[in-house]
Amino acid sequence: MLNSLIFIALPYMALALVLLVTPYRFLSNRLTWSAYSTQFLERKMLFWGINPWHYGIIPVLAAHIVGFAFPNQVKAFLGNQETLLIVESFGLGLGLFAVIGSLVLLLRRANSGMLKRVTFTGDWLVLYLLLFQAATGIYISYFLRWGSAWYLHTAVPYLWSVVSFDPQLAYVTDLPLVVKLHAAGAFLIVAVLPFTKLVHMLYLPVDFLKDPPLLYRWRSK
Amino acid sequence: MDVRAQIVMVFNLDKCIGCHTCSISCKNIWTDRKGAEYMWWNNVETKPGIGYPKNWENQERFKGGWVKDGNQLKLRALGKGPTLANMFFQPNMPKIDDYYEPFDFDYGNLAGAKEGNDQPVAEAFSQVSGKKIDEIQGGPNWDDDLSGSRIYAANDPNLKDKKVIESYSSMFMQYLPRICNHCLNPACAASCPSRAIYKRGEDGVVLVDQEVCKGWRFCTSACPYKKVYFNWNSGKAEKCIFCYPRVESGQCNACAHSCVGRIRYVGVLLYDAEAVEAAALNEDRDLVDAHRALILDPQDPAVQEGARKNGVPEQWLESAVKSPVYALVKEFAVALPLHPEFRTVPMTYYIPSLSPVLSTWGDTHKLLEHGMIPALETLRVPVGYLASLLSGGNEGIIEEVLKKLIALRVFMRSENLKLPADPAVLAEAGLDLEGTKRLYRLCTTASYQERFIIPPQQREEQDPELRKQQAGFGILKKTRGGK
Ligand code: SF4
Ligand code: SF4
Repeated sequence: MLNSLIFIALPYMALALVLLVTPYRFLSNRLTWSAYSTQFLERKMLFWGINPWHYGIIPVLAAHIVGFAFPNQVKAFLGNQETLLIVESFGLGLGLFAVIGSLVLLLRRANSGMLKRVTFTGDWLVLYLLLFQAATGIYISYFLRWGSAWYLHTAVPYLWSVVSFDPQLAYVTDLPLVVKLHAAGAFLIVAVLPFTKLVHMLYLPVDFLKDPPLLYRWRSK
Repeated sequence: MDVRAQIVMVFNLDKCIGCHTCSISCKNIWTDRKGAEYMWWNNVETKPGIGYPKNWENQERFKGGWVKDGNQLKLRALGKGPTLANMFFQPNMPKIDDYYEPFDFDYGNLAGAKEGNDQPVAEAFSQVSGKKIDEIQGGPNWDDDLSGSRIYAANDPNLKDKKVIESYSSMFMQYLPRICNHCLNPACAASCPSRAIYKRGEDGVVLVDQEVCKGWRFCTSACPYKKVYFNWNSGKAEKCIFCYPRVESGQCNACAHSCVGRIRYVGVLLYDAEAVEAAALNEDRDLVDAHRALILDPQDPAVQEGARKNGVPEQWLESAVKSPVYALVKEFAVALPLHPEFRTVPMTYYIPSLSPVLSTWGDTHKLLEHGMIPALETLRVPVGYLASLLSGGNEGIIEEVLKKLIALRVFMRSENLKLPADPAVLAEAGLDLEGTKRLYRLCTTASYQERFIIPPQQREEQDPELRKQQAGFGILKKTRGGK
């Protein structure tokens, strides 16, 4: 029951939401498509929260995605014990950054009076989800060693089976509960993404790298 | 030559009475909204003073504008790579306390308070947090009229000799109304990773596209004039829009329209877009001349030809010829850019103030009767101060301008009093009789129609049929631009 909820219902719901709601929001309400910065109102705690969070989570998330996209190459890369050890220690360190960051961000929201009127249910939801996700992540990385290796043999083939609409639960049913919760958290984050400020992830400002500094717009050109 | 049109405002500082009417009319139209309470797209500050936001001129702190790097310009703040790396926490961004925490008063309590022994009061509360404020800590013109000058005016970076403001006999002050300068080389636009800030080709107005803005906040510090504001409610940048909905239809901006001192002029300038960067690369002291060189003579047939080629409509060309701004900035060369050394090539210009000149010259009446021009070093407002504000430190330029203005005053006074007026005074300052009459009229009795020559946008010439086809669903939000 729990397995089919976490590994069938949740992922397909998340997929449906992210694929349908995201374009709808993009087309209908681009005005709110941003990270909704609150640095203007509170910056001291923000510094200690937002930087560790992003610098921790971005590489960790990227590693998850690379593992999913290129499992064989990553398997080969991690084949040697030393590499695996280095990758795992880096992962743990970055994960700690992310946990501390998201914790600081959560406390900041709770403590700063200035932020009251710019804090909505969506912000709490996102912060709790992210903290939960980062915390289960480092728990797994510390107590269930070599996750970067077994991730490739369990979650990755399972995820591929999901995206090819033939979910194979056999890969994941025997995993410890905390891993299942970590997976559930991931699907929930994907599911709430189009409804919250998390959409800012889907916009990378890279065009400006090649643009000339000044931008003109003509009504008639 | 790439001739473009720019709509420009000139401020005659001599006439500003610091009444803040301009700020209020702007606020009432544009920033009377949640998230924008603290914004004053038009503000008026007292100089010497640290202004609004506090210490905005201090680029060590906010890292605004451009700096010369060899023969290239670069943003003082961050290059493109570091911009990406500082996306999460923008290190130079001004915070709300650099402006002030916006407040309102609980007027409802005056009528609704329970009966008691004391008079009910309207207590101040924060418009951000909603909490009661016991003691208001700041406001948009906190150091108005030199109040608290030891803390505020004394920290004016333009004031080299702090002693000046310590004694009544040497103290001076003037007002400085400021809007966004709608620069030719806007640092705000260059700093935006989303490319949300653009300059309109037709009239040069610099705008933030709210749909494209993602709230990265780099513009708020990159603008050296601190004229991009962060709306804490919408999470996006906002700035002065030069009242474009009014200006497009030929009406005057709200601030200029309501100006009590009639200090403002709005008109068209033609400039050479190809030469802007090279102009901004000049040494500080040469920047005013570079500004003037950028501005093209609207009566020159070659300029007109170039403008037509770029689609500048005939009515705009006519307005450029009649432009009061052209007369003040280029022809008479009495209006100067604010802090040209920030290198954004700002497109608002200021006629420096003369005010309490004559009183330190000794016997006032004697001076005027003789029609003399006081030695510039005896001016109450130090030339060096004005130079730091308006000419990149070049005192020669300020002296030239002041000479003209004083000559104008001396000559016209004699004439109005039917005293012998000596045109030699004018010649010495580089003015002629006909020009003097025109400049005099512009600075004094010029009517609304003479001070504001604003050609409407020629929508009918901007491919309306094309736009009609395109604008059906409201989702066509492609950023068009580049050049
Ligand atoms: S004054 Fe500031 S906001 Fe206005 S155009 Fe210049 S750089 Fe941009
Ligand atoms: S309305 Fe005119 S005179 Fe009054 S403060 Fe503004 S610019 Fe100065």
